[in-house]
Amino acid sequence: MDNVELTTPAPAREQDRWEHSGFGAIYAEHSRAIYYLALRLLGDATQAEDATHDVFLKAFRKLAGFRGEAAMRTWLYRITINHCRNLQQSWQARTMVSTADDALWERTAGQAESPLRVLETKELGQRIQRSLDALPEEYRLLLLLVADENLSYHEVAELTGQTADAVRGKLHRARKAFAAFFAQTA
Amino acid sequence: MEPNQPSSRLTQRQQAEERTQQQTRPAAREFASAEELLRFDAAQTPPPPDVAERLKQSVATEPPPALPWWKRLFRR
Repeated sequence: MDNVELTTPAPAREQDRWEHSGFGAIYAEHSRAIYYLALRLLGDATQAEDATHDVFLKAFRKLAGFRGEAAMRTWLYRITINHCRNLQQSWQARTMVSTADDALWERTAGQAESPLRVLETKELGQRIQRSLDALPEEYRLLLLLVADENLSYHEVAELTGQTADAVRGKLHRARKAFAAFFAQTA
Repeated sequence: MEPNQPSSRLTQRQQAEERTQQQTRPAAREFASAEELLRFDAAQTPPPPDVAERLKQSVATEPPPALPWWKRLFRR
């Protein structure tokens, strides 16, 4: 007689763990933001997919230790930032120092106040990536975090290890730099 | 000038072509700031569905998560 499989089939086990732990809901709510941050920090879709998987797996393992002192989104962002930094450091192929002309945005005064015009959204992602890559890492991260309306300036300041006032000051320069590089990609 | 003269018909055709071109030309989108542009881009960039599937499989092989500290506290 054939052995009868008495254990729960693997797909059902996956679904149980995913749903009963509440982790499926956490993934549904935050995965878009985490994937986007990873994508724009790493600049590579495949690496961003892997990073998103690894970040959420780390979060699953650490979920019991999450005390709710920070918002879930902030906590996941912290894991993502650290994960991406570790990856970038281990690659060593990608330098963290921008090779762009640091003074470019100083010479293009006023562009930060002008609206960013986009004619073709098809290649918008590539233009954004090129502009972000040209920025110093600090500015890139600031813009990506501030773009998330769920985060307060205080939370952005905590994630980037500075005061909220410093965030406001640097953000102005980051916007100006981004606008200058974005205009160059047209 | 008579309305059915060739030059008049040509003008009408040119005007019709211009109207068609204007209709098919993509409208420029304007973003007030870098953040607004990034928000628009993020909204159009969902994670691939494969990630959720891989993660479900990975989570299934993990040991059950420990109870949160506050649940452990109330269990005593």
